[in-house]
Amino acid sequence: MAQISLNEISKTFKVEERLEGKLGIIRGALVRKTKEIKALDSISFEINEGELVGYIGPNGAGKSTTVKVMSGILTPESGRCEIMGRTPWKDRLNHVSQIGVVFGQRSQLWWDVPVNDSFDLLKDIYDIPANRHKERLNQLVDTMNIGTLLKTPVRQLSLGQRMCCEVVAALLHNPKILFLDEPTIGLDAVSKLALREFLKNENKQNGVTMILTTHDMDDIEALCDRVMVIGHGKLLFNGKLDGLKRQFSPLRCIHAITENPIGETSIFGAVKIDVIDREWTVWFDPVKTPAHKIVAEMAEKLPLVDITIVERDIDEMIAAMYREMDL
Amino acid sequence: MRRTLKAGLSLFRIRAIEGLQYRLAALSGATVSTFWALIEAVILVVFFKYGNNTAGSINGLNLSQGVSYIWLGELMVMLQIPGIDGDLMVKITSGDIGIELCRPLDLYWHWFSRSAAGKVNAFIIRGGMVIACGSALTLFGADHIGFGLPHSPVNFGLFLISVFSAFLFSTAYSMFVTAIRVGVAWGDGPMYLITVAGTVLSGGYLPLQLWPDSMQTFLRIQPFASYLDTPARLYIGSVTLKNGLLMLLLQVAWIAAFVFFGRMIMKHKLKAVVVQGG
Repeated sequence: MAQISLNEISKTFKVEERLEGKLGIIRGALVRKTKEIKALDSISFEINEGELVGYIGPNGAGKSTTVKVMSGILTPESGRCEIMGRTPWKDRLNHVSQIGVVFGQRSQLWWDVPVNDSFDLLKDIYDIPANRHKERLNQLVDTMNIGTLLKTPVRQLSLGQRMCCEVVAALLHNPKILFLDEPTIGLDAVSKLALREFLKNENKQNGVTMILTTHDMDDIEALCDRVMVIGHGKLLFNGKLDGLKRQFSPLRCIHAITENPIGETSIFGAVKIDVIDREWTVWFDPVKTPAHKIVAEMAEKLPLVDITIVERDIDEMIAAMYREMDL
Repeated sequence: MRRTLKAGLSLFRIRAIEGLQYRLAALSGATVSTFWALIEAVILVVFFKYGNNTAGSINGLNLSQGVSYIWLGELMVMLQIPGIDGDLMVKITSGDIGIELCRPLDLYWHWFSRSAAGKVNAFIIRGGMVIACGSALTLFGADHIGFGLPHSPVNFGLFLISVFSAFLFSTAYSMFVTAIRVGVAWGDGPMYLITVAGTVLSGGYLPLQLWPDSMQTFLRIQPFASYLDTPARLYIGSVTLKNGLLMLLLQVAWIAAFVFFGRMIMKHKLKAVVVQGG
């Protein structure tokens, strides 16, 4: 049985709206108009133990709401959700002792006291035996390389340092599942890489199931086996990242520069060819024609100076997908 | 239960460490309180001296008792500021309550310990300074506006017990207000109103014994007496020991009532809580 299973979960929020017109503010003080927004519209999916799943979608699509439902802090109107055999919001205390959460935009550390004090507090909150706590803390601190930060008050840490500590804090009690809500938001390249490396490791070594919501496609590409795309409260895609790529950006492209301008010639297997002066852009479908065949053909027919296979721009692909799905 | 208690103590500790960092805030708070107490004491002197008062006491409260009451009021007011814990307020309005709910703790007791710790800090540091100033006045001869000695050792003992109960009462009351505030998007206005009403009815502005006779029964029974009036009366001895003990029992009853209702409201609210922000 899957570790996490959601079955037709729906959740609606009421949003207050300002009334139209010049006197809208004044009338608004007396009469309120509310609009119902379907944050989650019959969402179903399953996640197995040890999976690392990326959860993406534009702002306001319902990502955080799903995470909140799964962590037991929101009760949906309808649908069933079972995580490790429990319904999160019904058995909240037992449920939350098995999960860890990192919210990139919120902090679970105490602002004015050294990081270590926050870790000690978590030890007592999760009732971790002292020796196990020490062992786990040392292990996490070593891999994360934050040993020097432990005595520093949280307010004096940089964002990257703080985020490392947040992740350690979320993992201290050995949770089986870790929810990460935009963990790399605002981090510099080095911190991002370090954090990703760490998460990957933790997932491999301890088999922690991770669900990652993010807007950073590099996160997804570097970490996730599987992606789920949500928009307008509905699950639009659920599968491998490759599948998503094939579905929404089936063509790949080769960029080449020739020695001198040459008129357009046909290349076998190419779907579309753009030629501007010495620059060639050849589009092809990797499923039908492997890249090396195209490259070989181009090398034969054209006096090449330079040739590169362009990586798919995943950000652009996602943007195209959001547009296509009208999100 | 053991786990909650352990976590509660740990929360208490970390909050206390945090609070101790703001020494300057404590100092300025104590200064304000001391001046406030002095002004009130002077008013009370004028009130007793030049009022149409031949007995030397009003409702069994004489001048030096009244002045001590006022100093105690400044000490106890520390337990109440702010009526609702600032940190918790921020968590409610910003949606950080979400993280709190991801902890395997009963949210009520979790916040109870935090709120209690926030209060006890101010109480010990700032309150200690205020009482030191009040006592210094008495020591250096300005005893008509200074903080006096307790009525008797027994009274002092009962006073200490009732201060502890008042501390629990004030936390239970704050938690009651906090519970009401969870998930409600009002501004802070109504909260101030509730806090001020509590301060007035506790005797924080005018000792309850100086209020009109017709109100005395009501004033003694209403919950806020638990918070300042009971400890103060026990200290200055303006109540018989037997009545004092009854007042202590009443304190306990009010604590139980506020904990009960606070928990009930909190439980109800959490079912429908909306965690703000993405």
